[in-house]
Amino acid sequence: MRANFIFSEVWIGLRRNLTMTIAVIVTVAIGMALLGIGLMVNSQISGMKDYWADKVEVSVFLCKKNDPFPKCKGSGGVNEEEQTALRALIEGMPQVEQVEFEDAAKAYENFKVQYASNTVLLSAIQVDDMPESFRVKLKDPETYGAVIEQLEGAAGVSNVVNQKKLLENFFGLMEKIRGFALVIAGFLVIAATLLIGNTVRLSAYNRRRETGIMRLVGASNLYIQLPFVMEGVIAGLIGGVLAAVLLIVTKVFLFDGVQGYLGNSQLTWETVASVISLTMVFGVLICVLASFVTLRRYLRV
Amino acid sequence: MIHFDNVTKVYANQNRPALDHVSVDVDKGEFVFLVGPSGSGKSTFLRLVLKEERPNSGAIHVAGKDLARLSNFKVPHLRRRIGCVFQDFRLLPNKNVYENVAFALEVIGKPRRFIRKVVPEVVELVGLEGKAHRMPDELSGGEQQRVAMARAFVNRPMILLADEPTGNIDPATSIGIMKVLDRINRTGTTVVMATHDAAIVDSMRKRVVELEDGKIVRDQSRGVYGQAY
Ligand SMILES: Nc1ncnc2c1ncn2[C@@H]1O[C@H](COP(=O)(O)OP(=O)(O)OP(=O)(O)O)[C@@H](O)[C@H]1O
Ligand SMILES: [Mg+2]
Repeated sequence: MRANFIFSEVWIGLRRNLTMTIAVIVTVAIGMALLGIGLMVNSQISGMKDYWADKVEVSVFLCKKNDPFPKCKGSGGVNEEEQTALRALIEGMPQVEQVEFEDAAKAYENFKVQYASNTVLLSAIQVDDMPESFRVKLKDPETYGAVIEQLEGAAGVSNVVNQKKLLENFFGLMEKIRGFALVIAGFLVIAATLLIGNTVRLSAYNRRRETGIMRLVGASNLYIQLPFVMEGVIAGLIGGVLAAVLLIVTKVFLFDGVQGYLGNSQLTWETVASVISLTMVFGVLICVLASFVTLRRYLRV
Repeated sequence: MIHFDNVTKVYANQNRPALDHVSVDVDKGEFVFLVGPSGSGKSTFLRLVLKEERPNSGAIHVAGKDLARLSNFKVPHLRRRIGCVFQDFRLLPNKNVYENVAFALEVIGKPRRFIRKVVPEVVELVGLEGKAHRMPDELSGGEQQRVAMARAFVNRPMILLADEPTGNIDPATSIGIMKVLDRINRTGTTVVMATHDAAIVDSMRKRVVELEDGKIVRDQSRGVYGQAY
């Protein structure tokens, strides 16, 4: 096999179809980038699910003095007996694993950490403004229904917040983004396949003299087809490299940017690297397959 | 070397066979003219030898190989042992004489050293010494056909198939082409040439196989083109 012969043929082919080649590269790049983003979001979702799995809790907020919540109207805030009764009620539930009391001071500490950058808000809120709460951890987070129902009616409770519900909304949004990215990626893969098919067909037409002579003098099928397939591979590789750049940019500016809100589930560089290699292999594979299928139709051997 | 046994070829969407129960034997080192009117099946015969087309019935052996049992994968190896020349030369316009001839060796993966050695020899054999760096459009028709013959012969094939090689060339220049073909034949290469050129056939006094409507109507050693024309 004479490598320099193949490469000069490939180079000529790529240059002769420059506009088509660029179209292929751009389509592959965007398609593979979206596929990669879908995969990255996917790994982010499962990472976050793991992270949150043993942390989700049900927060049972207690009435303060002059609490605006309708359930607290008229009561002067929660009293000692109500609080003990509530704790006994919670601890008596079979679904509950653990319960902790968070007083106003601790709540204020957490609040300050969470909104450290928001000085206006911080200056407006006092320790006394923070509600006290029971933080309830369930054995199985799925069984929140009955727990919440019981607690919402209990005396001295202002409202009950289920973190799991909030997270599920968020995960739902992430899953929509993932689905969207993958569907568009699917369409672009189809577009790339058709474009490559067209490029190879043009290329085969442009080089019909050469390939005719090659067949006549007994060049092997591999030798005749390799330049065409290599054109596809090179376009696919360049597209893959562009997609990799896009994915790195997305990680740095998008994923790392929203990291603060998502909890401590970093999208690691290892994940990004494996996503990039996966999309590259996939992109090149698409190009090779599309080239081969088209060649079988347009390059009689 | 070439053995046709009761070969019939009907092209798709055609009711009349292009070749009709043809049996013929060409021995190693022979020179055979294939003559007959247009549409009589000469080119079809040559395409069958190359396994560019498949017969509908009958058996073809080339260089001892049964073409029906030759896998597609092995067809290129068959074609490396067969050289081809056509009426329209089929040169690559963006390559010079040397490169056109070398192309045939490059694409079957011959080493560069070998190519550098044999290409000038063959260019000289066909009488183009000193013109190796001319482009095809800087050559006459006769010279272009010599390039095509050099390319067909450079891999030392056992068989050379020529389909009306003098069809686009004036009679005087054709004599030079025939001399080259004769020279190639003398190296032991079997030559089969389809032609309409009566003067050439008559002057060469070689074996003549005449086709008409796909049937062999005459097979004559040391023959002439034919009385009817
Ligand atoms: N690819 C094809 N498809 C269908 N029919 C074909 C094809 N090639 C040749 N034929 C038919 O087969 C018959 C023989 O054709 P062929 O080309 O072998 O004749 P020929 O003797 O070479 O003629 P010529 O002297 O004009 O070159 C003709 O009737 C022709 O129309
Ligand atoms: Mg013909």
